[in-house]
Amino acid sequence: MARNFFTLMRSSAPTATAVSGANQSGPTTTPPPPPNIKEDADAGVHLDPTLEAVRHEITEELDMALQLRQVSAFYGSFQAIDNMSMPIPRNRVTALIGPSGCGKSTLLRCFNRMNDLIPGARVEGEIEFEGRNLLDPAMDAVEVRRRIGMVFQKPNPFPKSIYENVAFGARINGYSGDMDRLVEESLRRAALWDEVKDELDKSGLALSGGQQQRLCIARAIAVQPEIILMDEPASALDPVATLKIEDLMRELAEEYTIVVVTHNMQQAGRVSDYTAFLLAGEERVGRLVEFGPTQDIFTNPLDQRTEDYITGRYG
Amino acid sequence: MTRVSVVAPSAQLTAFSPKVRIRRGVSVAFMVAALLAIAISMIMLGALIVEIAVDGAARLFTDGAPVGREARGGGILTDLPTPAGIGWMTWALPVAVLLPFIGPRLINALVPGLPQIAERAIGFIVVAPAAIFVHILYVRFESAYYVEYAKAVGIDGASGNIFQVLGEASGFQIVRLLLVGILVPLAIFAAGWFWAHRMRRPSLIIPAIIIAGWVVYLFMDPWFLSSFPSRKPADAGIFSAVTGTLYMMVITVAVAFPLGVGAAIYLEEYAKPNWFSRMIQVNISNLAGVPSIIYGLLGLQVFVRVLEFERSVLAGACTMALLVMPIIIVSAQEALRTVPPSMREAAYAVGATRWQVIRFHVLPYAFGGMLTGNILAMSRAIGETAPLIAIGALTFIAFLADSPTDDFTVLPIQIFNWVARPQAGFHEIAASAIIVLMAILLLMNAAAIIMRQRTRTDW
Ligand SMILES: Nc1ncnc2c1ncn2[C@@H]1O[C@H](COP(=O)(O)OP(=O)(O)OP(=O)(O)O)[C@@H](O)[C@H]1O
Ligand SMILES: [Mg+2]
Repeated sequence: MARNFFTLMRSSAPTATAVSGANQSGPTTTPPPPPNIKEDADAGVHLDPTLEAVRHEITEELDMALQLRQVSAFYGSFQAIDNMSMPIPRNRVTALIGPSGCGKSTLLRCFNRMNDLIPGARVEGEIEFEGRNLLDPAMDAVEVRRRIGMVFQKPNPFPKSIYENVAFGARINGYSGDMDRLVEESLRRAALWDEVKDELDKSGLALSGGQQQRLCIARAIAVQPEIILMDEPASALDPVATLKIEDLMRELAEEYTIVVVTHNMQQAGRVSDYTAFLLAGEERVGRLVEFGPTQDIFTNPLDQRTEDYITGRYG
Repeated sequence: MTRVSVVAPSAQLTAFSPKVRIRRGVSVAFMVAALLAIAISMIMLGALIVEIAVDGAARLFTDGAPVGREARGGGILTDLPTPAGIGWMTWALPVAVLLPFIGPRLINALVPGLPQIAERAIGFIVVAPAAIFVHILYVRFESAYYVEYAKAVGIDGASGNIFQVLGEASGFQIVRLLLVGILVPLAIFAAGWFWAHRMRRPSLIIPAIIIAGWVVYLFMDPWFLSSFPSRKPADAGIFSAVTGTLYMMVITVAVAFPLGVGAAIYLEEYAKPNWFSRMIQVNISNLAGVPSIIYGLLGLQVFVRVLEFERSVLAGACTMALLVMPIIIVSAQEALRTVPPSMREAAYAVGATRWQVIRFHVLPYAFGGMLTGNILAMSRAIGETAPLIAIGALTFIAFLADSPTDDFTVLPIQIFNWVARPQAGFHEIAASAIIVLMAILLLMNAAAIIMRQRTRTDW
């Protein structure tokens, strides 16, 4: 996909109207969603952050891989995230930032239905993926996960050979091409090939932490997903391995849509094109504060809390 | 947001906070309970072994005059001349203990720089035949023992040359010769080998030594292992009981393992946490505590009468399968719970279906634990007597079962029967049979330990 996507494929009408539908100042073509004005004790009355996002003209311009609308997630009776609406631009790196416990992982896991696996977990709202709502129970979660891959915070290679780690996803999804080439290609793309090419039979667990994480990325790439979700992929790695993973993300962004959770502001600044800032209030419910191009978020945030967090003054 | 004091948490972390102390107390209590349980069972087992050993040794070290088979039992206490028995002990144990140490060092000295695995393999290949050779030499020169030995395996006119004997022997006799003359020294050797190379696994040393020791004892009367029961203690053996036990175990495993593992997979992976699955779970735990005689009565009614299996191997195996199923289910569930959630997530995240996750990741990971549980269940089944008596397993079987519908007997029943007889000779061979049963049990437990450790480290 070409880099100058702004000029390509303007987002389709329903997406654009749905988002601007949330903008109460704009023309409304769909029934207005629940009131977006929130009473907040210390911040006073403010509009739903999605409104700010819309002002950045991006939802009008972007080719969107995912479009969230009023997504809320619950663990039993505990609400972890509340009413989040934002786009995930295609072939771009989107960073999710925010303090611990604000629901970044929870949100990420909504994108590929991983929350289905947690007993008692429940997600409401809508995530549009290629014209369909991927949260719809009728949607095949297995298919969603094949097309939206995930790399976890802690490297978790299978206790099998390096080769098997990469080949597994492709094999179970009925890949019939040349498996050796797919494995090699995936490992090359994950910048791991040169280090492991002579010992593909070695256990994936025998690799170093950084290598394991790249193996997990290769494993995610091998099933050829459209979107790759990464939950703090570099949190356990040294600076060199971290840089490798960051380079990798930039490279992968040419073909894939990447959503990355990170606690590292520099990292978010370095790798991401767009940034979403999440925050949990006193009741521990996570909300989206601001979404926009990373540069704007970092240099010219619209919300005071974003600025406080980014400059390290939050808390 | 209220700021959290940084002093309070660190104070809580000290070892003397009341909560930590209670947790420690609980863990100590559990440890004491576990140690007590282990100690009591070890003492009981030890007492049994010592009793048999003393009884056997008393016989071994009597003046050495052969008493004659008619006068006394066979089993471990054969009428071989005493020096022969002791002679065996004098070389077999040192060989078993020393050769595995010396072998690899010797090879290392001759061909330095071999990879360890090759070294061990060559060590085994070189040293094992050496042990057998020593054994043959021993048999050759200890003619008194040798004649008895030849007689024991049923060869007449033995002339003092092992190869001549082999020439005269029939197929069955050769099998017996192989069994007692080669497999047994090999087993001794392997036990020593094992001991030497698994020093990091002290749990295996004791079983290995005990097995080696008692195999040595057994070797003194090969007759015992390969004879059918008889009206005369001297002629009686446990051939049909051992084969019956093995036969029944194979069928029991074939029935209980797939069913039990399947049930565990259902309960752990598929069942929704509703009243139904809770009910099943509770009842499985309850079943594990039902006295085995109840299973026997159940088997008698269901398998022997209604399904008309008669008093066959099949009926016995099905009853045993019912008996051990709860154990297998519970241990398989435990094994499934040890699978790290991160591994399941990883598999789901590349688009695996639930069954693919189970089939390719959960089961391979949990299989070692399941096998361990299975073997422990088997070692329970192998010692069970009551349910088999209830279904009417016979005690005097002078043939080998051909099909699952044949009559059969098992070791515990054979032992029970012999112990119940008035003649002292039968009591002695019952002791021998107990040793065989115990050797099988210890072997199975050792296998369970090895399997568990292998599957933990073998990735
Ligand atoms: N499996 C679960 N069951 C119940 N509550 C959960 C579960 N997972 C997360 N939560 C809760 O949901 C909230 C958001 O958690 P989440 O893991 O999404 O945070 P996060 O932003 O990823 O934090 P971190 O940066 O520390 O990873 C937290 O309050 C957490 O306690
Ligand atoms: Mg997280």
